[in-house]
Amino acid sequence: MSAQALLSTVVQVVVVAAGGPLLVGVLGQTRARLEGRAGAGIGQPWRDLRKLVRRQPATPTGTGWAFRLAPLLLAATSLVLAGVVPLLTTASPLDPAADLFAVVGLLALGTVTLALAALDTGTAFGGMGASRAITILTLVEPTILVAVFALGARVGSTNLAAIVTATLHAPLRVASPASLLAAAALVIVVVAETGRLPVDNPATHLELTMIHEAMVLEYAGGDLALIEWASSVRLTVLLGLLASLFAPWGIAGANLAALPVAFGALVVKVTILGAGLGAAEVFLAKLRLFRVPELLAGSFVLALLAVTSSFFLA
Amino acid sequence: MTDTTFPLALDLSAGVFLLCAFGVLWRRQLASMVRLFGLQGAALAALIAILGLHERSVELLLVACGLGVLRAGVLPALGRRALGRGTPADARETRPVVNVAASLLAAGLLTLLAYVVTRPLVALSPSPATAVLPAAVAVVLIGFFALVTRRRALSQVVGFLLLDNGITATAFLTTAGLPLIVELGVSFDLLLVVLVLQVLATRLRSTFGSTDLDEMRELHD
Amino acid sequence: MTPVLLLAPVMLPLSAALGYALVGWRPRSTAWLGVLTTALLALDAVALAVTVTRHGPLWTPGGLLRADALSAWMLLGVATVALLACWASPGYLAAAPGSRRRTRWYGILLQLFVAAMATAVLAGNFGVLWVAIEATTIVTAFLVGHHRDRAALEAAWKYVVICSAAIAIAFLGLVLLYDAGRHAGLSTVDALDWTALTRYADHLDPAVTRIAVGLAVIGFGAKAGLIPLHAWLPDAHSQAPAPVSALMSGVLLPVAVYAVLRVKVIADPALGTGYLRTLLAVMALATLALAALLLIAQRDYKRMLAYSSMEHMGLIALAAAIGTPLAVVALLLHMAGHGLAKTVAFLSSGHILHHHGSTRTTDIRGLAGRTPLLAGLFGLAVLALLGFPPASLFASELGIARAGTAAGLGWVTAAGFALALVAFAALIVHSGRMLLGPAPHPAERPVAFPIGTALPLIAGLVAVAALGVTLGPVTGLLQAAAAAAGAP
Repeated sequence: MSAQALLSTVVQVVVVAAGGPLLVGVLGQTRARLEGRAGAGIGQPWRDLRKLVRRQPATPTGTGWAFRLAPLLLAATSLVLAGVVPLLTTASPLDPAADLFAVVGLLALGTVTLALAALDTGTAFGGMGASRAITILTLVEPTILVAVFALGARVGSTNLAAIVTATLHAPLRVASPASLLAAAALVIVVVAETGRLPVDNPATHLELTMIHEAMVLEYAGGDLALIEWASSVRLTVLLGLLASLFAPWGIAGANLAALPVAFGALVVKVTILGAGLGAAEVFLAKLRLFRVPELLAGSFVLALLAVTSSFFLA
Repeated sequence: MTDTTFPLALDLSAGVFLLCAFGVLWRRQLASMVRLFGLQGAALAALIAILGLHERSVELLLVACGLGVLRAGVLPALGRRALGRGTPADARETRPVVNVAASLLAAGLLTLLAYVVTRPLVALSPSPATAVLPAAVAVVLIGFFALVTRRRALSQVVGFLLLDNGITATAFLTTAGLPLIVELGVSFDLLLVVLVLQVLATRLRSTFGSTDLDEMRELHD
Repeated sequence: MTPVLLLAPVMLPLSAALGYALVGWRPRSTAWLGVLTTALLALDAVALAVTVTRHGPLWTPGGLLRADALSAWMLLGVATVALLACWASPGYLAAAPGSRRRTRWYGILLQLFVAAMATAVLAGNFGVLWVAIEATTIVTAFLVGHHRDRAALEAAWKYVVICSAAIAIAFLGLVLLYDAGRHAGLSTVDALDWTALTRYADHLDPAVTRIAVGLAVIGFGAKAGLIPLHAWLPDAHSQAPAPVSALMSGVLLPVAVYAVLRVKVIADPALGTGYLRTLLAVMALATLALAALLLIAQRDYKRMLAYSSMEHMGLIALAAAIGTPLAVVALLLHMAGHGLAKTVAFLSSGHILHHHGSTRTTDIRGLAGRTPLLAGLFGLAVLALLGFPPASLFASELGIARAGTAAGLGWVTAAGFALALVAFAALIVHSGRMLLGPAPHPAERPVAFPIGTALPLIAGLVAVAALGVTLGPVTGLLQAAAAAAGAP
């Protein structure tokens, strides 16, 4: 555990923490421009967070520890994810203890705490949002595991940093069928996990169509700010993971000197992905809820095909 | 074709070929199924063309062109014409016998089965062409599955055409094709079968009022 | 002379089809065109049989058409059944008139059907065989749906979809067989030719050949009405017009078995007899069980005859599974006898349908009192199907039973015949109820059944009886055909 590696990781965490809401702003601005509006600017999510922090938090009567813990736990898991997933550097000090299964577990932990908090409120919408979120989670977890496993099978390790480093050394692997299928599966998974269209509409105000928003209906003030910020960090981490797995060029090792290049590369890649996601959202309609398992089963099958082709075609 | 791009190109076209079969099971709109079938025909033609370029065979390239015209042009056009005559409510697959999510998982399992079953074939002559043979056999199995589990007449026809695409791909991947006259006979037969099915489907619609095969319950024991 | 003998069976029905296309179907004149061409076809089949027995196999230049003893035997069967069916068609269509256009199409498609089947039995390699069998599916699709009512359309749809899928599976099997042949060293042309494949049988890769043969047998077996893809058979045979049902039961099913036999000739040297023996025995017993069970509660007499066809195909598959020389001779004889008897049965059921307007067995009572000639013909045909002497089915079933016990497949054969016995009982009960007993409305006038329309049926019954009494002139041909079918 060198000092350079530690410093790189700290820089990575700070960049992601600060850049999360900015990415959401980029998404929103792309959508606005494509829809013909002027948009609120990239910094609007940060302004919203600042507004929320100044408000009074509210705790409904009858809620317990789950409701109070959820924002903190969500923020904590998001920060840990920001440190573990190779975005700027592949030499995080947390690396030996954290691999694919741990990352997936952290993602699941965040969603589960939020679902528990929604159930804790005892409202109808909270329960509905929680059940929907857990349905999606059940279908998404195996897909992430299998898809990244397909990539890791050829490397011989499920350590994300090892996979990224292997792809750096053998760039043509990205065009192999296993890689392309895993990419397709992961794109669908990222959309589902972060609650974007076509799985969930983050801008909806109709409670009966909400999934993620229904879970946080009862939050206000600083708690809500924490949850919104943590969600944006999760989005950044997942998009960054996509970029690192399939286009890792520019990522730094343990060397501090390569950090600015890595920073620039990460910003470009994640901005492109975010803008692409925003643009796609303009053209997609939200899927009816009973169609979502079909979509996720399809992505699971793509991941399954990725694993089979990585074993048989390699 | 160089030695590194040949397997890559084969893998890509075989991958698109297989994914179109999955797409047919995934989608509910009959028009999308027909479009995906057309895309699969194009992928099949590309596959044969790649084989032809690698072996520098003009005959294969001509066959690829002919096959592309038939399976990516003529047959989807026939399908669209058959669709155009129905009402908009007709344009969707009614609940299939196995629901979409389960069908997709079954298709994944069938792909694994295809890998197992084609081991002796791949072992007989290992080459980049036979390495993608499981994809072709998987499309055969998925086509048969679609044929058996769909309730609309057009979906059954698309399933049958998928079956046939898979068999053609198998033929070209194993031995670079059967004698030309057999291929011509097979393509002609396929066209005739589709025409016959189209006429029957039209008569079905005028007699039964829809092409939902569940409506046909007259003959049973 | 050779090319003429081989090309005539294909060209004659094609020219008749052309004739119908140009002139149309006139009940007094062009209706008999089909009879003329099939009579010539029968003469050609006899000439071919004689030539092949004396001089050995014949083939056209290019190898597309080829005739050995087995092909000649099959062609004889095709020709006689086609002759009977075309002879009976004018009488059938006169009783159930349709539009001019529809009868013209009937004429054209029937002749194309005969041409396709003749091509299939005279095919020189698997490619031509496959194309011909697929052509029969396409051509009979509209023949099955001739009546244009709901049931007929449903039957036609099921028929086309299931048979096309089955034939596609058989094609996959042939593709893999071609692959195995090419890797064994055969050239492009030879790898689809069964004589060349048999010569190279021990060089064929066993695993690939196993898959290929299995797929081909299942695919062609489906066209013969064997499990698992048999569901089209009862519907198609019961909804088609009677002469078409006769042709399908009497010729199409045996031609599919012929294709299986050609595959078996390659499979046995390449894989050993055990593989196909097991596969065919399983398919045969399953088909027999299904047919027997479904015959018990059958309420539609045309479906009853269709299930009886399935049962007989099961017996034929059992004989193919046994595979000894006696079994193969019995198999070929059974195909011929069943073809003739089933033709008469279907043709008479067609007339029964016209007289009574219903295909339900409960609606037909006391037929013997109302139309004694028709009832007699139907009854004799059913008795022939049940295997009563002097019909040839008695001798062939006895042959299969003896061959089965001699080959060590005693239990399997016993099970098969036990199931056939169940079917026997069901057929007797249903037919007896239809034929015997008092007529429901004794005051009604008996329905006319002119001797002219009865002639083809009488001829068929006479042929079955003759075949059962003595093989006579065809003995040599039958032995040579059994040898060509691979019996060691």
